[in-house]
Amino acid sequence: MTEPGRDVYRHGVAERTTHWLWALALLVLFMSGLQIFNAAPYLDASDKSDPQRRVLAFDAQLVAGQPVGTTTVFGHVLHTTHLFGYTDDGMGGEDERAFPGWITLPGPQDLADGRRWHLLFAWVLVFAFVVYLIAAAARGTLRELVLRPSDLPKLLPMQLYYLRLRPHPPPHGTYNPLQKATYTLVFFVFFPLLILTGLALGPGVDATVPWLTVVFGGRQFARLWHFTLMVLLFGYFGTHLVLVVSTGFWNNMRSMITGWYRLKEGDGVGP
Amino acid sequence: MKRGLFVASSLAALGASGCGPIKDNLTNGPFRNVLASAQWYNRMAIDTRGLARLYPDSAIDRNFRVNGLDTPSDDRYKRLERDGFRDYRLVVDGLAERPQHLSLAELRAIGTLSQTTRHDCVEGWSAIGAWNGVRLAAVLALARPKSTARFCIFHCFDRDSSGQPYYESLGLHQAAHPQTLLALDLNGAALDPDHGAPVRLRIPTQLGYKSAKWISRLELASTLSGLYGGSGGYWEDQGYDWYAGI
Repeated sequence: MTEPGRDVYRHGVAERTTHWLWALALLVLFMSGLQIFNAAPYLDASDKSDPQRRVLAFDAQLVAGQPVGTTTVFGHVLHTTHLFGYTDDGMGGEDERAFPGWITLPGPQDLADGRRWHLLFAWVLVFAFVVYLIAAAARGTLRELVLRPSDLPKLLPMQLYYLRLRPHPPPHGTYNPLQKATYTLVFFVFFPLLILTGLALGPGVDATVPWLTVVFGGRQFARLWHFTLMVLLFGYFGTHLVLVVSTGFWNNMRSMITGWYRLKEGDGVGP
Repeated sequence: MKRGLFVASSLAALGASGCGPIKDNLTNGPFRNVLASAQWYNRMAIDTRGLARLYPDSAIDRNFRVNGLDTPSDDRYKRLERDGFRDYRLVVDGLAERPQHLSLAELRAIGTLSQTTRHDCVEGWSAIGAWNGVRLAAVLALARPKSTARFCIFHCFDRDSSGQPYYESLGLHQAAHPQTLLALDLNGAALDPDHGAPVRLRIPTQLGYKSAKWISRLELASTLSGLYGGSGGYWEDQGYDWYAGI
């Protein structure tokens, strides 16, 4: 069923637009989220703040007159000066800051504006995601993307192919079984949980939908989940970039900008 | 206190220019109003329909974290504190049919209630305290708000390092929430100066900066514009959202 060299129309205009829109939203949310995190640079597995249940903490202290940035993970102290704890202050110097100014939005310490960027682009993400789901469902893309029980036996062969331990991928549709597993995880686990754990941090939300905060183990725990999901999504993003580049960068970019994708050896067509 | 180096530096960055936080060009440009608009969507989506969670005594933080501006140190406050706030009067005025001057005893006589709730700071941390006080709605009812009143403004004794007074405000429907208290006691004892003595606001359905400490006067008003920075509160004037439910 593979016809290398043939152009297929893969992504509809709504899917392409929302893809880039949430890419932008996730970048802004990532950077402004780190800005917000810097205001209380520690995470507790509890409801109220509880140093006894601290999982991660960034700090700065003076050691022999020199500022040292520290990262404490489950009680293990690492020296991370310039990287975490004592870092770029976004104004040309260094200061006690968990995440450096070059990776936060805004650069200098500014919780108020960090929150504004974050809360506005949270709406952008939700909007883009909902529009995408509707458009992708209407065009049938969603059906091709979602992992099905019949895909499960193909996950290992696909991974072996990626590891170059197998000459050919198992037969599959437009998306291979690992892609399907990843997109299913990102769309139906990461995105919803990121939004819900973020909402659970609001005292107004907690009063309106009390079970939400309870489900995540309390407010500080929800903050820990929110941060953890961010790290996992960042890991997904890195993998996504590597694959976009390694499986034909220009062809992939063209398909996500114009919609047209040129089939190559091993690509599947249709579900 | 360990509260941090981090908090101190963020406050310094906020207050450094005296008239507002340091802003980068992107945030400060025409996009600023778009950025600020998110709080209205949040308010529409969330508002607050329910009640904040109540906690058992075992959850209480006995050393409740001190936050906010420095405890007032001016003569007026010091004199009141020295006399155990005997001469303190909470002024309730503005758009009121019957302006009030209430002593602490008169406030308590309205009827107090206790609630153990979580305080959620905008910075991200949370602490649990047992608050005892008077429903704000009951105090405002005594003053009989005029029909034109839409906001309750909280004037406070504290000032920042550049002399800017702290103030806050709530819409009257937020003020009427049954858990919105004028707190008089924390964890079984009268509020100490560091925690906002003699009267502070406690609104568990919004972030901590709304819960103004060291309140001297409640003003009923029809608008927030024209008052200080015009955004309805000390932190709001520095870019924080007026609606602080998230």
